[in-house]
Amino acid sequence: MELLDAHLVPAVDGVAFGLLLFVVAAGLSLAFGTAGVLNLSHGMLYAIGAYTGAELSDGTWGGLALGLAAGTAAACVAGAGLSAATAPLARRGHLAQALLTFGLALIGGDLLIQFFGADELPVRVPEVLDSSVTLLGHRYPAYRLCFIVMAVLLAAFGTWVLTRTRMGAAVRAAADDPQMLAATGHSPRAVHTGVLAAAGALAGAAGVLGAPIIGPGPGTSENVLMLSLVVVVLGGLRSLWATFAAAVAVGEVQTLGVSVAPELAPYLLFAAMAAVLVLRSRFAEPAGAGHGSEPSGPGPVARLRGRLAGRLPGPKRPSVRLDRLPGRKGSPEWVNRLPGRAAWWQAAPLLVLLGVLVALPALLDAYSISLAGSALALGLLAVSVTVLTGYAGLPTLGQTAPFAVGAYATANLADAGWTMGPVQIVLSALAAAVFAAVVGPAVIRARGTTVLMITLAIGELTGAVVNQLKSVTGGADGLVGFPATQALWGGEGMLEESELYNYALAVAVVAVALTLLVLRSPAGKLLTGTRGAEARMRASGHPVGRYLLVAHICAGALAGVGGSLMVTVQQYLSPADVGFEIAAFALLAVVIGGTTSVIGALLGAGLIVATRDWVAGSWPGHGPLLLGVLFVATVYVLPRGLAGLRGGGSGGGGQSGPPSGTTGAPGTPGAPGTSGEPKTSDAPDVQDQPPPAPTPAGKASP
Amino acid sequence: MLELTGLTAGYHGGTVLHGLDLSVPAGTVHAVVGHNGAGKTTLVHTVAGLMRPSAGTVRLDGRDVTGQPAHRTARAGIGLVPQGRRVFAGLTVEEHLRLSYRPPRRGDTTRPSVWTPARVLELLPRLGERRGNRGADLSGGEQQMLALARALLGSPRVLLLDEPTEGLAPVLVRQIDALVTTLAAEGIAVLLVSPSPAQAVACARTLTVLTSGRMTLRLSGEDARADATALHAALELTATGA
Repeated sequence: MELLDAHLVPAVDGVAFGLLLFVVAAGLSLAFGTAGVLNLSHGMLYAIGAYTGAELSDGTWGGLALGLAAGTAAACVAGAGLSAATAPLARRGHLAQALLTFGLALIGGDLLIQFFGADELPVRVPEVLDSSVTLLGHRYPAYRLCFIVMAVLLAAFGTWVLTRTRMGAAVRAAADDPQMLAATGHSPRAVHTGVLAAAGALAGAAGVLGAPIIGPGPGTSENVLMLSLVVVVLGGLRSLWATFAAAVAVGEVQTLGVSVAPELAPYLLFAAMAAVLVLRSRFAEPAGAGHGSEPSGPGPVARLRGRLAGRLPGPKRPSVRLDRLPGRKGSPEWVNRLPGRAAWWQAAPLLVLLGVLVALPALLDAYSISLAGSALALGLLAVSVTVLTGYAGLPTLGQTAPFAVGAYATANLADAGWTMGPVQIVLSALAAAVFAAVVGPAVIRARGTTVLMITLAIGELTGAVVNQLKSVTGGADGLVGFPATQALWGGEGMLEESELYNYALAVAVVAVALTLLVLRSPAGKLLTGTRGAEARMRASGHPVGRYLLVAHICAGALAGVGGSLMVTVQQYLSPADVGFEIAAFALLAVVIGGTTSVIGALLGAGLIVATRDWVAGSWPGHGPLLLGVLFVATVYVLPRGLAGLRGGGSGGGGQSGPPSGTTGAPGTPGAPGTSGEPKTSDAPDVQDQPPPAPTPAGKASP
Repeated sequence: MLELTGLTAGYHGGTVLHGLDLSVPAGTVHAVVGHNGAGKTTLVHTVAGLMRPSAGTVRLDGRDVTGQPAHRTARAGIGLVPQGRRVFAGLTVEEHLRLSYRPPRRGDTTRPSVWTPARVLELLPRLGERRGNRGADLSGGEQQMLALARALLGSPRVLLLDEPTEGLAPVLVRQIDALVTTLAAEGIAVLLVSPSPAQAVACARTLTVLTSGRMTLRLSGEDARADATALHAALELTATGA
């Protein structure tokens, strides 16, 4: 009883916090589950509501009502705008849309700070509610109780609309099969817009009402986005009630957990998350599996073969026809990839890039060289993302987790006196590989956008651990002052920028060469096959899960090497170096490069570091804005990345010099870039079969 | 009355349907027969507005609906029963009916017949028994009925049936054939696409054989019923890939 007494207030707080998260997460879940947009700017929509509410609330009921109306309307319009922005990308799959929303979030965040300043705004609630009531002998803020009631009403109303009305049925039908919804006379586009507008309105309303709980400030967007993502992942997409329970659970962990066990709270969230991800296979079910209405991959082909074989006794003719069948189109590509003159053409850009990189120290000043070193480290991270996204078909936002493991391993090794470069690299790679092996099973079960969410959660929670585990990571202060790395046995610790850069270049060359070797080997083909036609690979007896796990571990090790390099080059390490932004940058670098191009990823990383640190240097404080614009421009202008420019020949335009020349090997139509679309986009090149409808919620419906 | 003139369509990479001319007067069944890959589904999808034709026109009672998005062609009066049924897995039968029910605009008296959920359930009583079941929980035959109900509830002028008997038991096949005849008698123009000449012969007033996206034979239902040799010959020709 005493225990209950002491923790009653935080427990009720947890309910209020949880309900706030529920309203926000419901919008996120709605946008993702039914419109197929993983909206990484959802936190920004909340911030729009919160800022508007805080600005208009003056302590009167009228102010609150006005704020609620204006905040909801503003976020609703923003949501509808998001729908208009993502609609042209619908055929390109979820990855492009997610990146676009992230870019818009960066831009929006910057603009909000421009308008409202970088300080947290104070929020005033109506005076009647600005008092406290007595709750079982405790005083408790009346506003929070009132908020609980409002949130429950909002949740009940939303649930009713979704499950009981014709509109709700249309929304669920759109998630299932938009083409068939259109065939019943409803415009899927209108439903899409409506859903995103409604999701925006929910986030905006939550922002206005929740401003006294999570106030408007520069960190609001990310904080809210992360917490609601955790809620969505924990709750799954199947039922609002599961989301509700997850939201309250997260709320309690964040309030009651902190008051009961302050040190353990962050791990509690992490542990719950990990447990759910590993245990609940239904959320992470491969796309399309067990989904009735979707035409299964091999079905028509197998059927056609059966019929042809049945009708035709002669063995020669069918083989002629079969060559024209869908699924065989890849053969010329494979033929072209065989070594020969084409191989030299393909190697040429790499050699040119290598030449430029080797010559860099002679061309640049010290600061720029150290940036180039960081770019190499980020480049390795990007290459590891390429392996996962482009080859294994697992678009990831969580490669910063093994990257962080590698980075902190190297920093701690150096601190303990292990300053030998190769030893640091190998041990960091090992540590990251072990980490990747542990979290791998949760990742490889999912496909498509679900992977984005799961990996995002893994990256984010690793970040939380980094912040908490001060003895190893130095917490928010980071690590600094560890001994410099020696390149080889018997050498001195490297301190000069050009030394460090050369070391980083040597390591990166070895790592990239190894990666390319593996990707060009039969192992790489197995991965490509898995991404392109998983069911057929399974049916041919390939242990697909094992391949993906191995790929995940190798990519983790590669990211670990990148992390190790970054520490060595920077000679300090802070949580921001392994944060969500870096993960998004890595993914952007990959998309700039064209998802399956290793060299493209390296160039993309270079371009990002250049934008962030060189260009933004002349316009201080607006790095996020520039990067956001880069994100948006990339998604719209370079649908297949730099690799896609190859076909255009002279392309390149204003892009930095080497890309246009180096990403494309003229005369090799079979270069990896041709299959450069993420798995989720299912290009409709299969004849006599409609383009498969994007069915994000198909995964969710058992 | 559905009229297609010079309809040409394809996917990026190749043309699948080459200049098809075809008309389906109200109250009749026009069957298009062809093997897989002949372009049947492409034809249906192009008429339904799920694909844009690269050339040619689609006219509905004289009104040009070429290249309009699917929800507009649906509202104009084209009902689609797609291959593989494609019912909404997560929606109950009841919700399907409610979602699809679209009465004609007031004053629009040109529809062959107006369908309400009650009338559809009268025609397809089995669906009434499964009102509360989700699409994914229905049997193949029930899903086919539901897909048909979904198309009928828009009170269509034209009904597109894409392999409606695929994977169904013979008794259900006969039932579907009977339904097709009933619906045509209501004044609906039915475009039936099927790999099976038997079904086409059973219901159609006119038959078209499609080979690699081109019409290779057209004959009347009576001729086909009297002597199916020509039809079979045309289809056999398709199979040997001449």
